[in-house]
Order: sequence, then structure tokens, then C-alpha cells
Amino acid sequence: MLTIAFINGSPKAKESASGCLLKELKGFLQDSEITEFRLRTAEGRDLAEILKNDVLVFSFPLYVDGIPSHLLRCLTQLEELSKESKPTAKVYAICNSGFYEGHQNRHALQMIENWCAKSELNWGQGIGIGGGGMILSIQSVPSGKGPKKKISSALATMAGNILSTRSESNLYTAPGFPRFLYKLSAEMGWRQAVKANGHKTGDLSTRR
Amino acid sequence: MYIHDLNQDQAEKVLLTGPDTCVIADNKTIRPCVGCFGCWVKTPGRCVIKDGYEHMGELLGKTTELIIISKMTYGGFSPFVKNVLDRSISYIHPYFQIRNAEMHHQRRYDNVIKIRAFFYGDHITQEEKNTAKSYVEAVCINLDAQFEEIRFASMDELMEGNLC
Repeated sequence: MLTIAFINGSPKAKESASGCLLKELKGFLQDSEITEFRLRTAEGRDLAEILKNDVLVFSFPLYVDGIPSHLLRCLTQLEELSKESKPTAKVYAICNSGFYEGHQNRHALQMIENWCAKSELNWGQGIGIGGGGMILSIQSVPSGKGPKKKISSALATMAGNILSTRSESNLYTAPGFPRFLYKLSAEMGWRQAVKANGHKTGDLSTRR
Repeated sequence: MYIHDLNQDQAEKVLLTGPDTCVIADNKTIRPCVGCFGCWVKTPGRCVIKDGYEHMGELLGKTTELIIISKMTYGGFSPFVKNVLDRSISYIHPYFQIRNAEMHHQRRYDNVIKIRAFFYGDHITQEEKNTAKSYVEAVCINLDAQFEEIRFASMDELMEGNLC
């Protein structure tokens, strides 16, 4: 049976878009043994265990156009471990960002691919997902329906590739939701959040 | 401003500093961004993690030239340099705007930062160089900054000031 490591690279302790996307991917991966790992801090434990799997699937948020630093530290540790253990895993990655356009995740996916080359692992495929700010809010929508349709389709394609350990070009997608409405919704959310913290809307623009 | 991951001896050989130079180096206390957005909604303009790196946003707001010196790490910055950048998002505003037909953040400050990036390492691949060139330009677009240059060097070349 194919053994798969799900590596959730979100720094968030509770719900995260990265975890939500892995949950949906899991639904497409029948008859496989999945172990889930959280890499919230640089003190990555279980790193050696991760490399023992046939397939690694990273899911993480885009931070400043790249990989979040805590995950990056873990990748450098995994690279060192890979020199000793000579793993043969195939690597897939899902990167989500708050920007609407999925292709803004392309550099982070390229970095994972470059990490594979340094670690002598095999690159499988990446998915860049935009509109990450609304992924949690649509998690109860059935897979493949409404605003989830394009994301579900990309995850289903990746799942097919994982099950046959095949490599394919990266996919870029976003929730089926107009960009201007996504932008307005996000800005409304920031106004509510800053007020909930006892500030005025104008404080969002504070200069120090 | 310099953001770098060199040790003290290396930094003394490479950095040209003056009274107006701010140097951000690794004092081993930095903590990762936890994605809480507190720097936008709890203490707008300042990170909520008090580890000595919480002022990055306001420091960048006073910066006109930024030189980043980083070990090449898979086509991007090293974990420390990336950690500093992750902790710097209070430099920008949470609201979005469309630039280059893409969604990016609005600016919080008026200054336009000129960015130079120097990557060092002894086994930099062509793929890493290609990724880094496109990546640094993307970072500049997102910070609404001005891309100046990118260079690559081995550690020896960096110490000799010989960046190619």
C-alpha cells in the first residue's frame, strides 16, 4: 500500500486553509496509508519519519512570495537527513495565498522543486491556489460544487497523479468567486477585525 | 538597511556601514511569523511578537535602500532572512489593490525602497538562479519597491567583494 505523508506547513494551531486543502485531497486518496505531520515550528520532530514515506505532500501558505521561514528551516533539515537516508519519495505541494491569482504561488512551488533536486527527491506536481482567505469559509461546501469546483478539480487531478506516482505540470487555480467581490469581502473583514481589537477603521493605516 | 545572515566576522568584511545604516542580523532570538495578522489589526504597523524584530515594518518605512545578503536556499532567501521578511508585513497595508493586473497589497508608507539582493553559496544551480531572479522581482512588486539588481557569488567571492 502506498504510504503518504501529509505535511501541514501552516503555523496556525487550529484551523488553517492548508489543513482544509489536505482534508479535501484525502477524500480523493482511497486505499492509501496517510500519516499527517504538523511543522509549526523550526524544531521539526518526526522529520526522519516523513522521509520514510513513498509520497510527501506539503500544504502551506504563501508568505512574502515564498515558503514560510519555519517550514524553510525544516526543509533544510530534511535535506541534511536525506543525504544519510537516501529516500526515494515523490513530492507534491499545495501552496495557497491570500492573493486572488493562483499563479502568485509559483515561486514557492519552484523552491520546493529546487529543494527536491538538492535532496535527490523526485518532484511530482504543485498546485498554486489563490483566494486563500475564503478557503475556510467554504469548507462546508461539498467537494466539486459551487466556489469549490475548480479547486476540487485540481486536487482530484493531483490525487490521480499521487496514486500512480506520476509527475505533471503545476496547476494554478482559485475559488469560483469574482475577484472584485473577494477584494471587497477581504477589506470588510479587516475593518471588522481591527474594530474587534478596540481600534477605529482608520487605525488600519497607522504609521509608526 | 542591510538584512543579512552572515556571522560577525563575515559581516565586518562585507558591509559598508555609516551613521544612517540599519543592520538586521541574526542574534538567534528571532521567532517565526505565526500568521495571526496582529501587526495589521491588534497593533497596526508593529508585530505582536516581542523578540527584537517586531519593528521591521516601521524600519522599512524609513528605508530608501535595502541590501539583502543571503545564503541561496532553493532559489530564495535563507531561513533567517526569510524570517525577517515574514515578520515585516506590517510595512504594507492589509487592503488590496490591482497592480500589473494582479492583486497586491496597498502601501502603508510613502517611501519607495530600492532593493538589491546578493545570494551566496558554493553549489548554486542554474534553476536556483532562475527562480531567485523572478522571485526577487515578485517581492519588489508586492512591496511596491524598486528592483535594482541581483547577484550571485560563492562565499569566497563574497568575502573578496567579487560579486558576479
